Amino acid sequence: MNRRNLTLIMENKPGALARVVGLFHQRGYNIESLHVDSIEDISKYHFIEEELDIKFAPFEISKLTIQTKVSDSLMLQILRQINKLIDVIAVSNEESTYLKGVLINENIL
Amino acid sequence: MAEKIKLSGGDMLMRSLHEEGVDIIFGYPGGAALHIYDALFNQDKIDHILVRHEQGATHAADGYARATGKPGVVLVTSGPGATNAITGIGTAFMDSIPMVVISGQVASHLIGTDAFQETDMIGISRPIVKHSYTVFNAEDIPKIIKEAFYVATSGRPGPVVIDIPKDMTAPDILFDYEYPKTINLRSYNPPVIPESNQIERAVDAIITSEKPVIYAGGGAIASNAEDELFALNEIMDAPVTNTLMGLGIYPATHERFLGMLGMHGTYQANMAMHNADLIIAIGARFDDRITNAPSKFSPQAKIIHLDVDHSSVSKIIGADIAVFGQVKNSLDLIIKELKNKINEYDKNKLGPWHDQIANWKADHGLDYELYKDASDTKPILPQAVVQHVYNITNGDAFVTSDVGQHQMFAAQYYHFDKPRRWINSGGLGTMGFGLPAALGVKLAYRDEEVVCITGEGSIQMCIQELSTCLQYNLPIKIININNEALGMVKQWQDMNYGGRHSQSTYQNSLPDFVKLTEAYGHVGIKIEKNSELQTKLEEAFSIKDKLVFVDVYVDPSEHVYPMLVAGESLKDMWLKKDKKT
Repeated sequence: MNRRNLTLIMENKPGALARVVGLFHQRGYNIESLHVDSIEDISKYHFIEEELDIKFAPFEISKLTIQTKVSDSLMLQILRQINKLIDVIAVSNEESTYLKGVLINENIL
Repeated sequence: MAEKIKLSGGDMLMRSLHEEGVDIIFGYPGGAALHIYDALFNQDKIDHILVRHEQGATHAADGYARATGKPGVVLVTSGPGATNAITGIGTAFMDSIPMVVISGQVASHLIGTDAFQETDMIGISRPIVKHSYTVFNAEDIPKIIKEAFYVATSGRPGPVVIDIPKDMTAPDILFDYEYPKTINLRSYNPPVIPESNQIERAVDAIITSEKPVIYAGGGAIASNAEDELFALNEIMDAPVTNTLMGLGIYPATHERFLGMLGMHGTYQANMAMHNADLIIAIGARFDDRITNAPSKFSPQAKIIHLDVDHSSVSKIIGADIAVFGQVKNSLDLIIKELKNKINEYDKNKLGPWHDQIANWKADHGLDYELYKDASDTKPILPQAVVQHVYNITNGDAFVTSDVGQHQMFAAQYYHFDKPRRWINSGGLGTMGFGLPAALGVKLAYRDEEVVCITGEGSIQMCIQELSTCLQYNLPIKIININNEALGMVKQWQDMNYGGRHSQSTYQNSLPDFVKLTEAYGHVGIKIEKNSELQTKLEEAFSIKDKLVFVDVYVDPSEHVYPMLVAGESLKDMWLKKDKKT
């Protein structure tokens, strides 16, 4: 079991965080650290706007970072489960990113 | 510019549902939903079916959805109305059935105060929905309905809950109403068309395979891929097996059909999967009832996995070639690519593989002659009941089932040639599903034969819906395979617990089902003897205008075989009580 860092960009809506957290406790994974910020300065995420041809307004999206202990074999499954959540725009671990359902082989978040 | 119409939240909800093509809702009224029910009363586009318990509403909507492919719609009140719907939502979630569940909620200012009939429906349903919404602003109702239907029906389908606080549907507060024409869900993008290099790799694997098996599941039905699957196999000529959820996607009477695979799959289907060199999984998710021990699963096979859901692929069994997209589209592209390389594909090389399968089938295939023995020296066999129903309905009925031995016998002995005719709770395994699901199917197809094959345990979990069937005149046929015990529980206790039947029998407390059915205003028929099985079943099906409940007493000692040996591979099966492979 290794400590892994996950970064998510998701809609800043009630219930979005609970859906993410639920995926962990449902499978018996513990969250070691968790941090959420609604994003005022969205300029950092222009690359997502360009990639997906969308526009963010300030405080419309949140950045969530999670540290968890998980085996390597389950890491991809966790990414895929998080990617499946309707409110999640992008999710990455150290080496890959799901951007609105498309897998990219690097951490772009 | 034309002036926008002004509507209350409740009226907007009804109008929005109508715009989504909804013509039937299954539900049960209550305090928090009363504004919505008044809006329902004041329109004539949408019918409402009043069930007798909210679980029945969700299963009926689910049966309707499985049979038609359209989303099922449920309307319940807050608190117990919402919690009663949970089992049905979980059932739909596990089988990826499109459903929209609208639950009333206490008024906004009361949320969080432990108000009368308040419960956190969004919280309770969260792990078993594809997505959920709370209406915080009434003017969002049209947009939320539009999104909910899109989410429920696209990608891998599933249930969506919309929780609506009572003040959002107040009749005296009006809003500008306009139904959105487009959806902007920037964080949701289900794959539709697969990447072309995966298609090429899949076709190359098909060309080099000598022992392929096509393994198709419920996802192929959800994607309406029956024509594409059939077309692919017209070229490939491979053996095809279906999961419990996939039955009907490939014609069961086709010579290449192996039967169902898995826990109670046929000998030839499980042996073919175990010995294959290529498995083409189409909308199937390698559930634990399919794989047995994953580490021992199909040791030589290369796996091509077609699925719309990234998280279903390589979850249990690693895929060598993953094809993400609607499986209908993926199959279409595979067919095109295979046709381009048709000179490289020689279906004759599968000859030895077909011979091998034919031998397995001859050795230990299911006995489809059982029903011919009508002597009264033996008790009625449950398998024979299903076979008679199959014969009488010409194999063309919609068959719903509950959960247990009768479900497996129905899956083994009713041969489905068309998709969406076999309606059962595969993933969650919900007893009580069969009768309300049959009710939903019959409302969609009033001129078709709808049969509920059930058991005396399951039927009692939602038997109150007999009353609904009378109210809406739904002449379904209920075949109660009565072994006077919780048969599958008892089978496991026989096999694994030294025959100790802990809480799996009723000590002569079963109701008289014939009288019970008659009390509900329907027809009841009891069958106890082999010699009268066929004639009395024929009599039941000859009654076209009434619901008939046929209570058939069967051999209580009968087990479902084959049965996988726990912790082993797919080739390890119990074939009889005293015989293992």
